[in-house]
Amino acid sequence: MAESVAVVLTGSGGAGVMTAGQMLLEAAAKAGYYGLMTRSSGPQIRGGEAAALVRLSTRPVAVHDDSFDLLVAFDWSNVGRFAPELPLSSDSLVLSDPAQGEMPQEIAAYGPRVAEMAFGKLAKTIKGGRPNMIGLGAVAKLIGLPLEPLLEVVTEALKRKGAEAQDASAAGIRAGAAAAAEIGGPATLDPAPEGGVERWNISGNEAAGLGAVRGGIRFVAAYPITPATEVLEWLAPNLADLGGVLVQAEDEIASINMCLGASFGGLPSLTATSGPGLALMLESFGLGIASETPIVVVDVMRGGPSTGIPTKSEQSDLNIAVYGMHGDAPHLVLAPNAIEDCVFTTQWAVHLAETLQAPAIVLSDQMMGQARAVVPRPADISFMSRRLVAEPCAEGEVYNRYALTASGVSPMAVPGTQGCMYTADGLEHTERGIPSSLAGDHLAQLDKRKAKLTDYDVGDHWADTEGEGSVAVLTWGSTTAPVREALARLRRDGKKIRLISVRLLTPVQPEKMAAALDGVDKLLVIEQSHEAQFFHFLRAYYDLPAEVEVFNRPGPLPIRPGEIVERLKPWMS
Amino acid sequence: MSGDEVGSFLAHAIALEDEAAERYSDLADTMDTHNNGEVAALFRQMAEFSRRHADSVRERAVGVEVPERKPWELMWSEPEGPETAPVERTHYLMTPYHCLQLALHNERRGHAYYADQAAKAGDADVRRMAEEMAAEEAEHVRLLEEWVKTIPEPEPDWDQDLDPPTTGD
Amino acid sequence: MTAQPLTAKDYKSDTKPIWCPGCGDYSVLAAVTKALAELQLPKEKVAVVSGIGCSSRIPAYVAAYGFHGVHGRALAVASGVKLARPDLTVWAFGGDGDGLSIGGNHFLHSCRRNVDMTYVLMDNQVYGMTKGQASPTTEPDWCESKLTPKGPQVTPIRPLHLALACGANFVARGFSGDPNGLAKMIVEASKHPGFSFVQVLSPCVTFRAEQRNWKQLVHESEDAEEVASDVPEAMRRLAADDGFATGILYAGDRPVYQPMHPAVTELAAIERRFAS
Repeated sequence: MAESVAVVLTGSGGAGVMTAGQMLLEAAAKAGYYGLMTRSSGPQIRGGEAAALVRLSTRPVAVHDDSFDLLVAFDWSNVGRFAPELPLSSDSLVLSDPAQGEMPQEIAAYGPRVAEMAFGKLAKTIKGGRPNMIGLGAVAKLIGLPLEPLLEVVTEALKRKGAEAQDASAAGIRAGAAAAAEIGGPATLDPAPEGGVERWNISGNEAAGLGAVRGGIRFVAAYPITPATEVLEWLAPNLADLGGVLVQAEDEIASINMCLGASFGGLPSLTATSGPGLALMLESFGLGIASETPIVVVDVMRGGPSTGIPTKSEQSDLNIAVYGMHGDAPHLVLAPNAIEDCVFTTQWAVHLAETLQAPAIVLSDQMMGQARAVVPRPADISFMSRRLVAEPCAEGEVYNRYALTASGVSPMAVPGTQGCMYTADGLEHTERGIPSSLAGDHLAQLDKRKAKLTDYDVGDHWADTEGEGSVAVLTWGSTTAPVREALARLRRDGKKIRLISVRLLTPVQPEKMAAALDGVDKLLVIEQSHEAQFFHFLRAYYDLPAEVEVFNRPGPLPIRPGEIVERLKPWMS
Repeated sequence: MSGDEVGSFLAHAIALEDEAAERYSDLADTMDTHNNGEVAALFRQMAEFSRRHADSVRERAVGVEVPERKPWELMWSEPEGPETAPVERTHYLMTPYHCLQLALHNERRGHAYYADQAAKAGDADVRRMAEEMAAEEAEHVRLLEEWVKTIPEPEPDWDQDLDPPTTGD
Repeated sequence: MTAQPLTAKDYKSDTKPIWCPGCGDYSVLAAVTKALAELQLPKEKVAVVSGIGCSSRIPAYVAAYGFHGVHGRALAVASGVKLARPDLTVWAFGGDGDGLSIGGNHFLHSCRRNVDMTYVLMDNQVYGMTKGQASPTTEPDWCESKLTPKGPQVTPIRPLHLALACGANFVARGFSGDPNGLAKMIVEASKHPGFSFVQVLSPCVTFRAEQRNWKQLVHESEDAEEVASDVPEAMRRLAADDGFATGILYAGDRPVYQPMHPAVTELAAIERRFAS
């Protein structure tokens, strides 16, 4: 029996591995399990090799395990290329179709147990039968997932295709399960937990979209880009239903400028992109800073630089997000650290941007964005404060858009407000908003724009801090998930260790970080960037303990919990 | 018919002075911005003259129904009113001499306009008013000609600026 | 008490222009304020948007809401304002460099997107803010810039052709030397639904002093009396264009892009779809 089971389905285009993976995840959710699904695919638009990576568990899971228990190969075309992303062990089972030839060397090298199943032949025995349904039935049987929820999910999914297709798929699933009866499964899932916790099936990109609308975003202008497009695909219909709008712009520069215009008009605005798009946007992002026009940019990070690896994850946009602006340009940079946290962090980013009249960047990544998970329903959070708007001015009264105030935030007049006409300006300006090149005005406005961020009390959300002890792991974003799992394993062995996962990257929080690190003498920094960008960022802004190590690696290979445990072992007495 | 003609004539006469005043006032601001206070003061004076003329036309118009005319419905022989200083005839280094020459240019055009109106008028009242106003403009021209004589002519290189333009945004 | 109608002067802000004396942009500003007076728009319901350049300084000089953005992006900002706030009247301004060089892509797409706004391109065929370089509308043999001492040697963009080809719903050319006529043109552009484009010949007396004689070159288009309502006819008229003919060339009836509609559902209903 196992608390969690990890399954990979591989096959070329047409094999339907992604569909099968999603059905498996949904069926597990129906059966009361939690789960996670990520995907890996070749560069082809259609017909490429693909892998659906699914982990099912009795508790929420945010990351894949160190190895997979079951690999189902509908065919082997180019699957060897994925081998580093599909770690197996000698306990793993590989199930493949003998008609599809030899298992690739790279997979065989893991030394798994091997069994054969003629997916293609079996499918042909059923009218309209498909190999992926045979495989699904086999998987369910092999990991101890009941067939009923799977049949329900498939029937629901094929509703539009009609009864014939539904019956064919159901027959396929049953045939697969029957064929697998003779094969011993690699691991059997523990019974699903009892109890009525509401669970959601959501991707990180959908979660970011939901966080945006929860935060009040009603205007989005964007340009499609991998791996951020699903944020937009979720937002487009839902914004329309909520009385908002998504505009597909001609490029990223237009996108962010449309957002600035809409936000100037009073509507909370957001765009979503990835590294190349963020690079294009930054000049205008600076305009948002100078003109104090709130906007939110969600950057779903991928491998860089340049076009890099569009379909694979990396945490290498930290530098451009923090340091990418010309001039002294204080702004907000936030990062969700789990799929469901994409809801909260994006919502919080909207709240901070609107409250502080400052642009924000949300650094999600492909790992979270394109992963789908069954998670407990994200809690409802409502933030009280909103954009501080100006009241109408009487005739003769002067409205100072950029008035120097105690908080640094000045009431912003929304067009339509009588007597408050002003010009938002990227030129340095006076309190009134008149262009100025005077030293005094520049200093006063720089101070104001900085103070409104640094003086604002962000509360406890700046980081997730967990555990105790003199050893700590400091990380951010999607690498938080393997760190959490690694630390859970160590704690199960009685070790004491802390986690600090930074959610608010800027403005930096030196006092809060000092408190979080109080009593820590050994620190491991973990991140997915070749240049150790996070580590250098920490070194620039924070006092770190004397003994600091960094575990950094570029994408696309994820950092796995087992590797983290190994790195920490020497420090665990 | 004659009532309409009087009204239309007065609408033009008022617009002529209003637009002239507005332009002079803008030019005064422009000269202030460009640190040419002497010329700014002169333009401001011209604006004041035009405003007074506008007032006196309005006094004549008491009791007459003056129709609303949109700026583009005014029948000038040029795109702008005859006493509206052409923007392109200004320069940041212009001297009082240039300023008065520009005013003179405008007053001469004003005189020509009213003389023409008088010649074309079908209505006796219009003809009388146009003649009076033409006479007034002639007086303005005479005064300006006298005034210009008291002002030294600018050096031939008055518009030379040894420094290059500065760059902006 | 009935409010006095607003005059052109009421639409002038108390910020004074920094343009060179003699610059055509002063007259464009005069035309803008006259147009606003004709339309009697409440000042707080007007948004004037621009990019960077001499002409792009105009928002601060108009008593309305304004956005002076970065170089080339005025149309994107203006589109955002109008899409988010359909109740506002949105006018975008900029020069030939801002709109046709760095912002060229946005011009193409604003023409075809057809958001209900007006774009006034103040064309002086030169970059003034950076000391007189060739712009996309400069003649190929203009040799006065240190950057292109033998002239830019490339074909100028013809803004009206471009606007028409890309689907602008209203296309016109005006002249700063006729601020009253220009005011009327801007009024009509603003009233016309969709994306209205007005190219304004607006001389630069500092870097293109020879443009002071544009007054002699500019003439009313022969077809000014009858505005073309179909694109091929407008194209035909443009074939004979000398670049100085003023008037409204084209007024079409393409559908306006305004995708914002009232809400039909609540967030809670959307969230329920995630439940498994």
